[in-house]
Amino acid sequence: MNTTLLALTATTGPLVSCFLALVVFRRRPSLAIGAALLGLGAAAAAALALLQSAGPPDHQLLMPWLDSEESRGMPLMFGFLLDGTNLIVGAMVACIALLVAIYSIGYMADDPGKSRYFGMLSLFAWSMLSFVYAANLLQMFVFWELVGLASFLLIGFWYEKPAAAAAARKAFIMTRVGDVGMFVGLILLLQSAGSLEVLELCSSATIAALPQGRLDLIALLLFSGIVGKSAQFPLHTWLPDAMEGPTPVSALLHSATMVAAGVFLFARFHPLLVASTVLVQVALPIAAFTALLSATVAMVQRDIKRVLAYSSISQLAFMLAGLAAGGLHAGLFHLITHAFFKALLFLCAGAYIHHYHSNDMVVIGRAGGRNMHWTTAGLIVGGGALAGIPPLAGFFSKEGILAAVGGLSSPAPLIALYLASFLTAYYTARMVFLVTRPNPASGLASLEELPQKPAREAPLSMRLPLMILTLASIAAGFAAKRIAALIDAPEQHPSAMMIGSAIATAALAVALAWFEYGRKQATQRSFVERMPTLHRLFLRQWYIDEIYRATFGKLVAALSGLARLFEDQIVDGTADKIGRATVVSGRAAAQTQLGAFQVYVGSAVIALAIFAYFLGR
Amino acid sequence: MGDLPVLSLLLLMPTAALGLIVILPRTSKLAIKVVSAVSALLTVLLAAEVWWLYDVDGPQYQLQQIVPWLADFGISYHLGVDGPAVLMTLLNALVFLTGTLSMWTLQERVKEYFAFMVTLVIGVFGVFVSLDIFFFFFFYELAVLPMYPLIAVWGSSNKEYAAMKLTLFLMAGSALLFVGLLALYWSSGLRTFDLVALGQHAFDRSFQVAIYPMIYVGFGILAGMFPLHSWSPTGHVAAPTAVSMLHAGVLMKLGAFGIFRIAITLLPEGAKAWADTFAILATVNIVYGAFVALRQTDFKFVIGFSSVSHMGIVLLGLNVLSADGLNGAVFQMFAHGAMTALFFSSVGFIYDQTHCRDIGRFGGLAKQIPIASAFFIIAGLSGMGVPGFASFWAELLVFVGAVRGYPLLGVFAIAGLVISALFMLRVYLRAFFGPPNPEWNQLKEVSAWGALPRAILVCVLLIFGFYPRLALRLIGPTTSLLLRRF
Repeated sequence: MNTTLLALTATTGPLVSCFLALVVFRRRPSLAIGAALLGLGAAAAAALALLQSAGPPDHQLLMPWLDSEESRGMPLMFGFLLDGTNLIVGAMVACIALLVAIYSIGYMADDPGKSRYFGMLSLFAWSMLSFVYAANLLQMFVFWELVGLASFLLIGFWYEKPAAAAAARKAFIMTRVGDVGMFVGLILLLQSAGSLEVLELCSSATIAALPQGRLDLIALLLFSGIVGKSAQFPLHTWLPDAMEGPTPVSALLHSATMVAAGVFLFARFHPLLVASTVLVQVALPIAAFTALLSATVAMVQRDIKRVLAYSSISQLAFMLAGLAAGGLHAGLFHLITHAFFKALLFLCAGAYIHHYHSNDMVVIGRAGGRNMHWTTAGLIVGGGALAGIPPLAGFFSKEGILAAVGGLSSPAPLIALYLASFLTAYYTARMVFLVTRPNPASGLASLEELPQKPAREAPLSMRLPLMILTLASIAAGFAAKRIAALIDAPEQHPSAMMIGSAIATAALAVALAWFEYGRKQATQRSFVERMPTLHRLFLRQWYIDEIYRATFGKLVAALSGLARLFEDQIVDGTADKIGRATVVSGRAAAQTQLGAFQVYVGSAVIALAIFAYFLGR
Repeated sequence: MGDLPVLSLLLLMPTAALGLIVILPRTSKLAIKVVSAVSALLTVLLAAEVWWLYDVDGPQYQLQQIVPWLADFGISYHLGVDGPAVLMTLLNALVFLTGTLSMWTLQERVKEYFAFMVTLVIGVFGVFVSLDIFFFFFFYELAVLPMYPLIAVWGSSNKEYAAMKLTLFLMAGSALLFVGLLALYWSSGLRTFDLVALGQHAFDRSFQVAIYPMIYVGFGILAGMFPLHSWSPTGHVAAPTAVSMLHAGVLMKLGAFGIFRIAITLLPEGAKAWADTFAILATVNIVYGAFVALRQTDFKFVIGFSSVSHMGIVLLGLNVLSADGLNGAVFQMFAHGAMTALFFSSVGFIYDQTHCRDIGRFGGLAKQIPIASAFFIIAGLSGMGVPGFASFWAELLVFVGAVRGYPLLGVFAIAGLVISALFMLRVYLRAFFGPPNPEWNQLKEVSAWGALPRAILVCVLLIFGFYPRLALRLIGPTTSLLLRRF
């Protein structure tokens, strides 16, 4: 089959199922589910077939799309770019989307809004796949925004819950702040380079032709979009709130794929972005700081989804640090492995939540969560991969990132990442121990009533994706060579000492977590709790939301208040004074209800008289 | 078919409907509605025919028809369309159709209502297809005139005040225009009102600089330019559904269209001289309108001020005076027209049942009336500039032009997108999301027939949103001809 047709199937398949589920089968949920599975299945099959047939970059322009005078007389095109980077990420997105959809059959079984849910899931898959396969930045931006829309709709899926609605709005606004920067960057890029084609923008000739100041500005603006979408400091606070959405959505959008769109954009425009030293100098500290900050927050949360959410922020920061340090392979490789093991972890969390109706790890543990064997196995494997324990997937990819960052002249980012790795392994182990080794004697207060419920394994529709992802989280680590060949970028191997120290870091962290949470006599209290100020800082997520509310929130409120006042008092007030005077005089003159109308007619007559006068002159 | 005077037919069709409506007894309400709907449908087909006949690579004005009328004064019945006019004609026909369908449940003074509404529609069509300034102005006034009774009689909340305010503002604008247009007539020395003939005349530069602001502001008032916009939100709020649809959907576009067709075309030097000033004012429109909308509690006021903000994008595009800016501006006229019509149609549906427009008194409407809510939410997405809807492309082009011509204003305007998202999401959260308010549990969901007009508008937004070239191929050649004057 030719590649155009495959790419069209991969993108429009979910679009068709979106339409079917949202419009045609609105009242027939089972048909809607069938349509979604068909569409997503077709997309996954096509994406895998494309990956199989991967060759040299295959640039396909399908139709002219937009005319702009900035693009050298050629219309901007709609088309696909099929090269290694796109094909790998596309296949990953399509497969995880299908698995999550299958999982959702069980997870959403009792929800009345199934048609809407599956329709929106398809909407997401369509936008995300179209984004990944896009041939130019304009097309990427269009679908980047649509991915954001799907995210908004899915976070707010249970929109009657005020918290969910508020979280959806927050996600939309915060990512849009980044997108505004990206939008300006896109326009400047179009203006300076006269094209938005990915391959052209990444060619050394185009990059060399850009003045350095212009290049830096564009790179920074594009990066602001990445910061918003991939939830990096200072635009990261929407992601934890996004956990208000259904858990499969958190797995698919808010850890594995959508939030990785920012990282993907960085990888896509890697040559362009790293050509700007200013960008590298900005991106590395942001990534390193975000990795640390979110790891500290993750280590004190009790809500399993919040731990995973902050963990996602932290891991995305790892990827960006790797990319900014020049490690294209490392960043992309970690993107792939992370997608598998983090989706797995979220789906495990979903299985517990689905069964126990609680997000609290202590509650889940004490209610007997570990007896859901398949789920617990998934949690342990996924956790191991996240913590960087060999030979699980996360170990290899994280090594690559450390190698890339280790090659820099400044040791600061590397130290930060080591520290973050330590915390990652610590909070992951803490999570696993809280679920699998409950200790009612530990004096840890239970926040909710314990649902005394015998453990029952999740239904097959949920279990099957768990098993597949568990296998993937083990196997993905061995794909490094294949990925390197596909994207034509070298693997970076750390020195033996780095590998050793990374393993030691992880082992130390797990040991600490075992001491505090795992062993029989464990108090289940973290070492941070001995430092109450620090503990509170982490628990309250560094007060960043509070700060934003007190600054930007207040600022917008004040400005809009001022604008309203100005409108009512000055703009409208003046008009009203004139208007009232006229109405009063009009009424007095005509003495009928329709007086005002007559004023109008009268004025028109006068106007005509003037007209006649001029004409006859 | 080519010999048929399509444009005259386009004017005749609603005129015949008007005649029929006047003849029909006031009790046969259904017949009046059917007449209106059928003529609207036929105008849609005619507008499609015009689109079909228009050759994008041909001369600027096509399908021309000239009948000399008052030859002494140089007035002739001269019709013709360029690309933007084709697009706007289509928009007007669509809004006419969907507006008529949206008023299907009207019971009060049906005859008079539709008579005025059809008059308005004739006026709007006339403006878009006239190539003679006299007729342009005549139709312009014909379109504006029915607004007073339409609002004052069928409106709600403070309707007489709103109608008066609107009339006064537009009168003031017309007065300015009147003087400006006459000045064009006298200054050219050609003793003609013909736009094409006047277009070949190069007006004296100082004359252009003196007269341009008069014409720009005269039209600008109708387009909602800051600081002369305040009639528009008040008017929207008071007007009945279809009038709001026509008012925000096409009437405000007449102002922008006038600037494009007359001010910029005939007075390019004046346009250049004043571009900075008016571009700044347009940016104020965008950002200020959005901020004011953020503090409104009335559904229609929010949409009214969002229109002020969105029309700012049109005006900014017009003042950028580049191909991208102008193309974007004209496209935005179309996109915004379809979008606001959808907005007011959706809100009208809710208001007709509840007689309440206070956002705070609703909640969870998406649960109570999911389909009707979906339409509003879709309009809102379009309003926020989400891709996939026509307005995204229009805004994109205006911004591309603005960043080139006025980088700082461009960035401000783009940042305004955040504020648009804020005020729109605020409405979503207060009225459509959250726990349902039991007060409105009895709300009836929209019927298939009732959903039809809104579905049509959604399709229009989506079709042009996925394939923007559909519009841009029409607009582009015209604007590039226009830009040769600069």
